[in-house]
Amino acid sequence: MTPSRMFRLALVIALVVAAVIFSRRCGAPQSEADAVPQNGGTLVATYRTEPTHFNRLVEARPMARLTALLTQATLLRVDPNTGALVPRLATEWTGTPDGLTWTVTLRRGICFSDGTAFTASDVLFTFQAIYDERVKSPLALDMRAKGQSFQLRAIDDHHIVLTFPSPFGQGLAILDSVPILPRHKLQAALDAGTFRDAWSASANLSDMAGLGPFMLQAYAPAQHLRFVRNPHFWRTDATGQKLPYLDELEVQIVPEQNAELLRLQSGTSDLTNGGARAEDLAMLRDAETAGRVTLVDVGPAIDVSTLWFNLTPGSKAVADKPWLAQEAFRRAISHAVNRQAIVDTVHLGAAAVVYGPVSPGHGDWFVPDLGATPFDLARARTLLTSLGLQDRNGDGVLDDASNRPVEFSLLTQSGHTERERTSTLVGEQLRQVGIKVNVVPMDQRVVQARYASGDYEGIYYGAQANSKDPTGSRAFWLSNGPMHFWNPNQPTAGSEWEGRIDALMLQLAETMDHAERKRQFTEAQQLLADHVPALWFAAPHVSVPMSMRVGGATPTVIQPPVLWNAEELFVLGPRR
Amino acid sequence: MRRAAAAVLCAILLVATAAPWIASNPPDLPFGDRAFAPPMRVHLHDTDGWHAPFVYRQRLVNRIDRTYVEDHTARVPLRWWTNGRLVSIDPGAGPLLWCGADALGRDLCARLVYGARLSLGVAVLGACGALLLGALLGAVAGSSGGRLDTLITTVADFVLVLPIVYLVIVLRATRPLVISPAEAFWLMTILFAFVAWPDVARGVRSIVATERTRDYAAAVRALGAGRWRVMTHLLPAAYGFLRIEFVLLIPALLAAESTLSFVGFGFGGATPSWGGLLKDGEALTAMYAAPWLLLPAAALFVVVLALQTVAGARAGVAGSVVDTTAPRR
Repeated sequence: MTPSRMFRLALVIALVVAAVIFSRRCGAPQSEADAVPQNGGTLVATYRTEPTHFNRLVEARPMARLTALLTQATLLRVDPNTGALVPRLATEWTGTPDGLTWTVTLRRGICFSDGTAFTASDVLFTFQAIYDERVKSPLALDMRAKGQSFQLRAIDDHHIVLTFPSPFGQGLAILDSVPILPRHKLQAALDAGTFRDAWSASANLSDMAGLGPFMLQAYAPAQHLRFVRNPHFWRTDATGQKLPYLDELEVQIVPEQNAELLRLQSGTSDLTNGGARAEDLAMLRDAETAGRVTLVDVGPAIDVSTLWFNLTPGSKAVADKPWLAQEAFRRAISHAVNRQAIVDTVHLGAAAVVYGPVSPGHGDWFVPDLGATPFDLARARTLLTSLGLQDRNGDGVLDDASNRPVEFSLLTQSGHTERERTSTLVGEQLRQVGIKVNVVPMDQRVVQARYASGDYEGIYYGAQANSKDPTGSRAFWLSNGPMHFWNPNQPTAGSEWEGRIDALMLQLAETMDHAERKRQFTEAQQLLADHVPALWFAAPHVSVPMSMRVGGATPTVIQPPVLWNAEELFVLGPRR
Repeated sequence: MRRAAAAVLCAILLVATAAPWIASNPPDLPFGDRAFAPPMRVHLHDTDGWHAPFVYRQRLVNRIDRTYVEDHTARVPLRWWTNGRLVSIDPGAGPLLWCGADALGRDLCARLVYGARLSLGVAVLGACGALLLGALLGAVAGSSGGRLDTLITTVADFVLVLPIVYLVIVLRATRPLVISPAEAFWLMTILFAFVAWPDVARGVRSIVATERTRDYAAAVRALGAGRWRVMTHLLPAAYGFLRIEFVLLIPALLAAESTLSFVGFGFGGATPSWGGLLKDGEALTAMYAAPWLLLPAAALFVVVLALQTVAGARAGVAGSVVDTTAPRR
């Protein structure tokens, strides 16, 4: 081969290699680190539940919350990662030294998505709707101090004064959960008493308007919700570029977790409903290595599944099996359950052992080893014997004084792998101390219906937490709360210790000093641990998977983990 | 081929019957540090030469990635007929996992073998019940015609359009929260027979209605045979159809068994059943990192194939009904 032919050949090879490299760089998403946010593009998220309502003031379910996050705006936001208050519709706020009265300055010159100007009257209207008895807003319970409503008045179109009737511990952070609704769209419905029906899932979407980054353009039941950019959205980024970056955000309804993961893996979706299951992590890590997804560990979950018994006085469970109501029995179970085995087997090590509802994910509200009951079968057997529970017929199952076997049914959510597996494992572990557990996996709605009617003995289930602050879970801690699992909706506290927890939680709601709030909450946790009304085993680590196309994401442990800052998300590259 | 298929079915039946002796471990016992453990390999040879069959102890290397390696430091010989088990190993060396372990570290082979008893029992009895009921009602409707035919067909259509899941939820609500595996077995069997008979009845009715217009049927009637007597002459024409229906019903009912567990009607998580195992194997992870969880699907495939081979061979050509134009004695 002559030198000139060799040179030509080398030139051709070099050109081909350069073309391949160039084409790959053009096609591949840019890395997040060197990415400059670009306007335009669409991201696809998947969600597991169907919306039943688009108005957050009348619906507390996750989909209503998501819709409110995307289409509405609040006066301010609590940054889920830092806990700091971030201005939104309010640009600044000044309070009196006692923290009771706050003058809030509203953002000027901004409009709802239909072009109507935003004024203080919209804020007053929103609170009027929350406190309206006919609306029965799930937010109303939280928007009270010592049972009294907050007072609001407008100084002018851009200033309001908010007065707490008594000291309110959460302070202005409570405003993070209140989307400001358009008075011009909903006042008539509120006056007519039809506010609950307005903006239902079957409503005309053109009747909706909001101050959020997106507008709900289309909803196809069991298929998707399509959100498009709100041209009137008021926020800009640090460089002055208008937000949101995305043209469109599609939320597909995919009830099944495997299907959700498949869509992410195949590149047809970019975001999932929440954290990945422990068993999927290895696969997702491989996909991350192959450059198909990115996986972000956001730490321990704040919503820990709970095992509780029906301790409602007069319930059939307590009447038939009085030992369920004995603290020693529940403590024996706590000692008989090997929590580390649950962490290792069910969560494949990606979880933390917990003994209460507060996990390490709650930050400094968590007190390590508070109420710890180490795995100790001998101690468990001693406690059971002290209750007169012994194996009288040699069948391996304990019997009570009436010679009835010590067994109970444990309902759990079928299809929820973590809950099903934990229930089964707990049942196997309790068999070692002679307690027979009949695990009954059932449809989620059936479990909820049984809980509501009190027709059960034990349940292993959980509720979604939307805040790290304990006041955000008052429905659990207060004895009159609907999520006070073991004995909900008590007219007055049924026991001295529950009364003490009620008092502590009410004090906590009124206390401004964080150190004092922490002391109060620690005492409440200790009381709970002392009386073992329910059991907690493991708080899973939450790893959030996303496609490589998603830029600007700062995932958090609070739902929704990525879409909470949807306006700052942008597209890094074309879909594979 | 038919004999081989029949032998396979007999073997499966034998294994299911002898499950307590064949399974190396209890089916509901979770083994710590064995979640998603892969099947153990049997060795005959190592660096020291040939030996009696042995395995190596499994060692967990990475929990989250579910990586296990064989510990080659010591051979673990298989023990035959020890402690009432056909094959086992020294308990100190960990569990013997022929088919690997499930998500809770339970012996998949044991669960498969024990599960065959309940699942095949429910599916076979449910299918037999559906065939019996469907064949009887279909034959009555097809041979009599008129109002009785209309009535049976309407009832069959009504059952077909019933929202079965809601029916099951209502039925479940009438029973205590905890039902024993035996009660679940019989309830499911009855439910399957009730749900599946209309399809069978409609097919049999069509065949019998066609057959009753043929000459041989007219001849039987001319000889003075009554309605039931005529029916016994017409029904054999549907044998091929019934065989194929039986083969098709078995996998459908096995899958239905797992669906019922979603509404609390199944055998429950700790009791092994093929439907429950299939449910475990449908996770994406199973196909990706733990393909042994799909073994129940393979077992189901073998059962259906064997059934189809046996039934198809008897019907002449699998999937067809008997030749109704052939001369009859």
